[in-house]
Amino acid sequence: MVRVGTIALTHFQAILLFAFFTSLVFAFLSRKTLNERLKYLLWAFLGFVLVAVALGWLMYPFPRP
Amino acid sequence: MAGKQATKTLKKEAAPAIGLFPYWVAAAGWAVPGLGHLLLKKWDRAAVFFVSIGALAVLGLASGGHLYSPDLSSPFDTLGFLADLCAGCFYLAARILGLGAFDIGQAWGDYGTVFFLTAGLLNLLCLLDAYDIAVGKKE
Repeated sequence: MVRVGTIALTHFQAILLFAFFTSLVFAFLSRKTLNERLKYLLWAFLGFVLVAVALGWLMYPFPRP
Repeated sequence: MAGKQATKTLKKEAAPAIGLFPYWVAAAGWAVPGLGHLLLKKWDRAAVFFVSIGALAVLGLASGGHLYSPDLSSPFDTLGFLADLCAGCFYLAARILGLGAFDIGQAWGDYGTVFFLTAGLLNLLCLLDAYDIAVGKKE
Protein backbone atom coordinates (compact mmCIF):
# COMPACT_ATOMS: atom_id res chain seq x y z
CA MET A 1 0.00 0.00 0.00
CA VAL A 2 1.12 3.57 -0.66
CA ARG A 3 0.27 6.17 1.92
CA VAL A 4 -1.25 9.46 0.72
CA GLY A 5 -2.01 11.39 3.86
CA THR A 6 -4.95 9.55 5.36
CA ILE A 7 -5.75 7.90 2.02
CA ALA A 8 -4.12 4.61 1.21
CA LEU A 9 -3.50 3.85 -2.46
CA THR A 10 -2.87 0.36 -3.68
CA HIS A 11 0.05 -0.22 -6.01
CA PHE A 12 -2.40 -0.70 -8.88
CA GLN A 13 -4.06 2.64 -8.15
CA ALA A 14 -0.63 4.29 -8.17
CA ILE A 15 0.09 2.70 -11.55
CA LEU A 16 -3.23 3.93 -12.96
CA LEU A 17 -2.67 7.50 -11.78
CA PHE A 18 0.90 7.57 -13.06
CA ALA A 19 -0.10 6.12 -16.43
CA PHE A 20 -3.04 8.48 -16.83
CA PHE A 21 -1.21 11.75 -16.17
CA THR A 22 1.89 10.75 -18.11
CA SER A 23 -0.17 9.62 -21.11
CA LEU A 24 -2.21 12.82 -20.98
CA VAL A 25 0.90 14.99 -21.22
CA PHE A 26 2.36 12.88 -24.03
CA ALA A 27 -0.93 13.02 -25.94
CA PHE A 28 -1.01 16.81 -25.81
CA LEU A 29 2.67 17.11 -26.68
CA SER A 30 2.61 14.87 -29.72
CA ARG A 31 -0.88 15.20 -31.22
CA LYS A 32 -2.86 18.19 -32.46
CA THR A 33 -6.55 17.32 -32.88
CA LEU A 34 -8.87 16.12 -30.13
CA ASN A 35 -9.52 12.75 -31.78
CA GLU A 36 -5.83 12.07 -32.26
CA ARG A 37 -5.13 13.03 -28.66
CA LEU A 38 -7.86 10.79 -27.30
CA LYS A 39 -6.66 7.82 -29.34
CA TYR A 40 -3.06 8.39 -28.29
CA LEU A 41 -4.09 8.83 -24.64
CA LEU A 42 -5.95 5.54 -24.65
CA TRP A 43 -3.16 3.69 -26.46
CA ALA A 44 -0.41 5.06 -24.21
CA PHE A 45 -2.43 4.51 -21.00
CA LEU A 46 -3.16 0.89 -21.87
CA GLY A 47 0.45 0.38 -22.86
CA PHE A 48 1.74 1.70 -19.54
CA VAL A 49 -0.67 -0.38 -17.47
CA LEU A 50 -0.30 -3.61 -19.43
CA VAL A 51 3.49 -3.42 -19.46
CA ALA A 52 3.53 -2.73 -15.72
CA VAL A 53 1.27 -5.71 -15.05
CA ALA A 54 3.34 -7.91 -17.38
CA LEU A 55 6.57 -6.91 -15.63
CA GLY A 56 4.93 -7.69 -12.31
CA TRP A 57 4.07 -11.19 -13.44
CA LEU A 58 7.56 -11.67 -14.88
CA MET A 59 9.00 -10.82 -11.47
CA TYR A 60 6.53 -13.05 -9.64
CA PRO A 61 8.67 -16.24 -9.66
CA PHE A 62 11.55 -14.44 -7.99
CA PRO A 63 11.27 -14.27 -4.19
CA ARG A 64 11.70 -11.01 -2.28
CA PRO A 65 14.77 -10.86 -0.02
CA MET B 1 33.59 33.55 -53.26
CA ALA B 2 31.32 36.51 -53.95
CA GLY B 3 28.45 34.00 -54.43
CA LYS B 4 29.00 32.45 -50.98
CA GLN B 5 29.10 35.88 -49.34
CA ALA B 6 25.87 36.83 -51.06
CA THR B 7 24.21 33.61 -49.88
CA LYS B 8 25.31 34.21 -46.30
CA THR B 9 24.00 37.79 -46.40
CA LEU B 10 20.68 36.62 -47.85
CA LYS B 11 20.34 33.97 -45.12
CA LYS B 12 21.01 36.55 -42.38
CA GLU B 13 18.44 38.93 -43.83
CA ALA B 14 15.84 36.15 -44.22
CA ALA B 15 16.19 34.88 -40.62
CA PRO B 16 13.44 36.52 -38.50
CA ALA B 17 14.42 38.49 -35.43
CA ILE B 18 13.44 36.13 -32.60
CA GLY B 19 14.80 38.08 -29.68
CA LEU B 20 14.57 36.83 -26.14
CA PHE B 21 10.86 35.95 -26.14
CA PRO B 22 11.34 32.19 -26.70
CA TYR B 23 13.75 32.08 -23.77
CA TRP B 24 11.27 33.91 -21.56
CA VAL B 25 8.61 31.42 -22.64
CA ALA B 26 10.88 28.51 -21.72
CA ALA B 27 11.76 30.11 -18.39
CA ALA B 28 8.08 30.71 -17.63
CA GLY B 29 7.34 27.10 -18.56
CA TRP B 30 9.97 25.92 -16.10
CA ALA B 31 8.80 28.21 -13.32
CA VAL B 32 5.13 27.24 -13.56
CA PRO B 33 4.17 24.18 -15.63
CA GLY B 34 1.99 25.30 -18.52
CA LEU B 35 2.76 29.01 -18.17
CA GLY B 36 4.94 28.99 -21.29
CA HIS B 37 2.03 27.64 -23.35
CA LEU B 38 -0.29 30.15 -21.70
CA LEU B 39 1.96 32.99 -22.92
CA LEU B 40 1.70 31.48 -26.40
CA LYS B 41 -2.11 31.37 -26.09
CA LYS B 42 -2.22 27.56 -26.23
CA TRP B 43 -4.89 27.44 -23.54
CA ASP B 44 -5.74 23.75 -23.70
CA ARG B 45 -2.13 22.62 -23.47
CA ALA B 46 -1.41 25.09 -20.67
CA ALA B 47 -4.28 23.77 -18.59
CA VAL B 48 -3.51 20.11 -19.19
CA PHE B 49 0.20 20.46 -18.47
CA PHE B 50 -0.38 22.42 -15.27
CA VAL B 51 -2.98 20.00 -13.93
CA SER B 52 -1.11 16.83 -14.91
CA ILE B 53 2.34 17.88 -13.76
CA GLY B 54 0.90 19.46 -10.65
CA ALA B 55 -1.04 16.32 -9.84
CA LEU B 56 2.04 14.13 -10.21
CA ALA B 57 4.10 16.47 -8.05
CA VAL B 58 1.47 16.75 -5.33
CA LEU B 59 0.80 13.02 -5.33
CA GLY B 60 4.51 12.42 -5.10
CA LEU B 61 4.91 14.64 -2.06
CA ALA B 62 1.76 13.32 -0.43
CA SER B 63 3.04 9.77 -0.93
CA GLY B 64 6.14 10.51 1.10
CA GLY B 65 8.43 11.00 -1.86
CA HIS B 66 12.06 11.97 -1.43
CA LEU B 67 13.33 15.22 -2.93
CA TYR B 68 16.93 15.12 -4.03
CA SER B 69 19.43 17.73 -2.92
CA PRO B 70 22.44 18.78 -4.98
CA ASP B 71 25.18 16.32 -4.13
CA LEU B 72 28.08 16.42 -6.57
CA SER B 73 29.70 13.37 -4.98
CA SER B 74 26.91 11.15 -6.31
CA PRO B 75 26.01 11.45 -10.00
CA PHE B 76 22.64 9.74 -9.46
CA ASP B 77 21.70 12.18 -6.72
CA THR B 78 22.78 15.07 -8.94
CA LEU B 79 20.64 13.79 -11.81
CA GLY B 80 17.74 13.29 -9.42
CA PHE B 81 18.16 16.84 -8.15
CA LEU B 82 18.17 18.22 -11.71
CA ALA B 83 15.04 16.24 -12.55
CA ASP B 84 13.27 17.44 -9.40
CA LEU B 85 14.35 21.02 -10.09
CA CYS B 86 12.66 20.88 -13.50
CA ALA B 87 9.32 20.81 -11.67
CA GLY B 88 9.83 24.52 -11.03
CA CYS B 89 7.49 26.11 -8.51
CA PHE B 90 6.43 22.73 -7.13
CA TYR B 91 10.00 21.87 -6.18
CA LEU B 92 10.65 25.33 -4.73
CA ALA B 93 7.42 25.30 -2.75
CA ALA B 94 8.17 21.83 -1.41
CA ARG B 95 11.62 22.91 -0.29
CA ILE B 96 10.31 26.09 1.34
CA LEU B 97 7.58 24.14 3.14
CA GLY B 98 10.07 21.46 4.18
CA LEU B 99 8.34 18.64 2.32
CA GLY B 100 9.91 15.74 0.53
CA ALA B 101 12.62 15.11 3.08
CA PHE B 102 11.73 11.48 3.71
CA ASP B 103 14.33 8.78 3.77
CA ILE B 104 14.46 7.15 0.35
CA GLY B 105 15.04 3.84 2.10
CA GLN B 106 11.41 3.79 3.24
CA ALA B 107 9.55 1.60 0.78
CA TRP B 108 6.30 3.49 0.93
CA GLY B 109 8.04 6.65 -0.24
CA ASP B 110 9.52 5.13 -3.38
CA TYR B 111 6.49 5.65 -5.59
CA GLY B 112 6.28 9.26 -4.46
CA THR B 113 9.92 9.84 -5.40
CA VAL B 114 9.26 8.53 -8.90
CA PHE B 115 6.06 10.58 -9.23
CA PHE B 116 7.94 13.77 -8.46
CA LEU B 117 10.85 12.90 -10.74
CA THR B 118 8.37 12.24 -13.54
CA ALA B 119 6.67 15.57 -12.93
CA GLY B 120 10.01 17.32 -13.35
CA LEU B 121 10.98 15.45 -16.49
CA LEU B 122 7.57 15.95 -18.09
CA ASN B 123 7.85 19.67 -17.37
CA LEU B 124 11.21 19.66 -19.13
CA LEU B 125 9.53 18.23 -22.22
CA CYS B 126 6.76 20.81 -21.94
CA LEU B 127 9.09 23.78 -21.69
CA LEU B 128 11.07 22.55 -24.69
CA ASP B 129 7.77 22.24 -26.58
CA ALA B 130 6.88 25.80 -25.62
CA TYR B 131 10.28 27.00 -26.85
CA ASP B 132 9.82 25.21 -30.18
CA ILE B 133 6.41 26.81 -30.64
CA ALA B 134 7.83 30.24 -29.77
CA VAL B 135 10.62 29.97 -32.38
CA GLY B 136 8.16 28.71 -34.99
CA LYS B 137 9.35 25.10 -35.30
CA LYS B 138 5.94 23.83 -34.18
CA GLU B 139 2.38 25.16 -34.08
